[in-house]
Amino acid sequence: MTTGDSSEPVPPLKLAGHWDFRYEYFAGDAASRFFAELGQGRIMGTVCPQCQRTLVPARGFCDVCYVETTQWREVGLTGRIETFTILATKFHGLPDPPVVIGYVTLDGASTAILNYVQGVPLDDLDAAGKQLLGQPRVRVRFHPQPEGRITDFHFEVTDDPA
Amino acid sequence: MTRPDLDPPEVAVIGVGQTPYRRRHDATTQDLVRAAVHEALTDAGVAMSDVDIVIAGFAPDGLAGENCPDKRFLPAAGAIGRWSMRVNTGGTTGIAAAFTAMDLLEAGYGDIAIAIGVERMAQALDVPAVFNTIFDPIYERDIGISTISMCAMRASRMMMRWGYTPEHWAQVGARNFAHASRNPLAQITRPYSAEAVLGSRMLSWPIRQLDACPISEGVCAVVLARSAAIGSTARPVAWVRGRASMTDTYNLGDRFAPGRPDLVDLLSLRDSVNRAYAQAGLESGLQADVAEIHAPFTSAETMAYAPLRFCDAADGPELVAAGFGAWDGRPVINPSGGPQAANAVGATALVRLAECALQVRGRAGERQVEGASLAVATGQGGANQFSTCTVLSSR
Amino acid sequence: MSLSDVIFSTVRRALDDAGVAISDVDSVVLGAHDLTDGRSLSSMVTAPAAGAFGKDEVRLGDDGASAFVVAAARVRAGGSRCGIVAAWGRASEGDPDAIANALFDPFFTRPLGMTEISVSALRAGAALARYPGYGSWRERAGARRAAGQEPAGERATAALPLRPHELPIWSDVAAAVVLGAEPGPVEVRGVGMSTEPYDIGDRDLLGLPALRAASRQALRAAGLAIGDVDVLELDGLTLFDEALALEAADVVPAGGGMEAIAQRADINIDGGFAAGYCAPAMGLVRICEATKRLQASGTAALATGSSVVAAQSQAAIALARA
Repeated sequence: MTTGDSSEPVPPLKLAGHWDFRYEYFAGDAASRFFAELGQGRIMGTVCPQCQRTLVPARGFCDVCYVETTQWREVGLTGRIETFTILATKFHGLPDPPVVIGYVTLDGASTAILNYVQGVPLDDLDAAGKQLLGQPRVRVRFHPQPEGRITDFHFEVTDDPA
Repeated sequence: MTRPDLDPPEVAVIGVGQTPYRRRHDATTQDLVRAAVHEALTDAGVAMSDVDIVIAGFAPDGLAGENCPDKRFLPAAGAIGRWSMRVNTGGTTGIAAAFTAMDLLEAGYGDIAIAIGVERMAQALDVPAVFNTIFDPIYERDIGISTISMCAMRASRMMMRWGYTPEHWAQVGARNFAHASRNPLAQITRPYSAEAVLGSRMLSWPIRQLDACPISEGVCAVVLARSAAIGSTARPVAWVRGRASMTDTYNLGDRFAPGRPDLVDLLSLRDSVNRAYAQAGLESGLQADVAEIHAPFTSAETMAYAPLRFCDAADGPELVAAGFGAWDGRPVINPSGGPQAANAVGATALVRLAECALQVRGRAGERQVEGASLAVATGQGGANQFSTCTVLSSR
Repeated sequence: MSLSDVIFSTVRRALDDAGVAISDVDSVVLGAHDLTDGRSLSSMVTAPAAGAFGKDEVRLGDDGASAFVVAAARVRAGGSRCGIVAAWGRASEGDPDAIANALFDPFFTRPLGMTEISVSALRAGAALARYPGYGSWRERAGARRAAGQEPAGERATAALPLRPHELPIWSDVAAAVVLGAEPGPVEVRGVGMSTEPYDIGDRDLLGLPALRAASRQALRAAGLAIGDVDVLELDGLTLFDEALALEAADVVPAGGGMEAIAQRADINIDGGFAAGYCAPAMGLVRICEATKRLQASGTAALATGSSVVAAQSQAAIALARA
């Protein structure tokens, strides 16, 4: 049996770890239908029977009125940028910069939906920011091979007047 | 603060303990917790045997790489044989832990409680990827949003609506860094100038590296006591004169409709401030000596000005340009340096409370604001979805 | 259904059952675990599903019974007049064993493949060694629990000496209650909580001291003796945990827990662990069950909930019919 005092320095121990939890998320009825419609070239919202808002993307209940949404309503494929940012730095697991993401209220919707925004030159970020601060109109572009994910569409800035 | 129409305070902060905030601590979480709790109990002049309740705040488990890491370190905070719970509300975790302890004390379930906020995010090697998982996996995660890009979208909106510029926010950052240079616990103590902020790396337009908070680890502990248990004491206490919390909708996209509070009106903070100020008998944030604003980004700090009733929203840029919040004015904003200088996520909202408590108790050392007797602390969590406001007073 | 849909439908039903509008609610206290929900800071998306929009809401990363205690405190302190308490766990979205293994410390315990079921197995082994009654009564006790309808879900992976039907079925579970300051059919008479050490090697595996302390506190606050309680809803991960819980709560003397489950019809009548299990919903499920039983025919109830890392902390609630 060894004895010794604790003043002998011991190199600090580090243990490498890896978290690899896999999940299978249930999208639910509202999201499932939303993506099915998206694959058909339509963007759908659900209507709250109490406040009458058209909620996009579609969801099963209105969290303000706290009731189930009942009706479905198609919204337009053009809209306005409410706000945006330009991702400028590469973080592991996130898309390559520079890329614009923004919230867009599509015509007929009461809420804005998030997606990538293309069509703005990104060689000068401040110039791009200035252009996007003007809240340009955008139109929806669908992916030719939909996968049932939000990336089945994106926005493109148009020259159409507001 | 002795208006007869106001309810007397039921709870007070009687002790504070904090580890330094650093990018990475080598000690175990248990050791950090023990150190902070010991300091808090000593500051409070009470023993662990006097404590009934221990509430731990720990923000996303993913940052520590441990499932429910609180269970491992709660014993180091005195939880064995006592009531204990863990709170997890993202950025507001630390203050939510304190509020939960206050709820239990006010109900008479105990006389003295410890609330701790703990962060070990240096254990995660991919912090932004962890934060990305806080967003909706069905509709949003593929877009690769992050806490930084969510904040940047708020910043853009403030530019659109109120004419803020990156220069305004760089000035806010410089002021926070100047204050941090007096705080021995702060992680960043270099007084970066506004030019340095504007020259730092762009993260997500318009937010740059020095507009954002650092990745920090550390522990903050506070001792809370029921008024009846305090009795008459010569020790300085920080009375909780008002406190409130509100949760907003998750969907950012739901906050652009005309006729409804806008994304950057920060409804949940406005509501929390209204209730906390009413309880405390405050008309305006300008009556406070100190404000510790939980804003992990410079732009987020200015978003809090109107809710805190420092000014109307559109006047914010002008206020900033005039040097609002600096050491020579009142209120002094973030005398600790605020989250710009150290942002241990699970602790930071509690740190705001702890720093305010130190200020009104006259125990803030080199960062003491002279004569401070009234302080306001805010908390923000979940991409500004959760907000809290607390008013502390020396009387 | 999405997780949000599960939560919304459960809380919506609780509100309807209480005859309360969402606008009457001023407090929401939740119990949920990030890793079980499959997302960090899961309450961002789940809290609004539980009615939290515009409310004073807090989410505990702890068992639903502790959430109930906090909600009750808010009412008792006068800050809340009507609150929602909700807790959930959706086992079907993730891998319960991997998630459970991550509860244990990475240096000394996780590499040995420890899960909470393994800790229950250690308890079971110790109980079988010490108490002859556990060996002789386990078949009949297990049969009573297995008699109910099997819920949807997967049986937990076995760990000797535990047998499959003594193990929980990992299910999707969500529970919600509405509690308030107005008089109602069931009253909260007393609460208690306590905590044990983290390291399994430091624990009294058979004694469940946290549960012992918590239930004594709750009953004392309620002015009740355990003999006054005719509705028992005690959380336990496996058959053996339920049996030991009965002893810790002073329902029966040490060693008598397994026989009590075998012989008595008034303990966890929905089947307990066999009716579907997922942390951290279970303490609130026990409270719901106790409430329903009191509304039907009981007088006084003891409901308990245990936290993760193998019941490190426990909450006990004494309820009574008004």
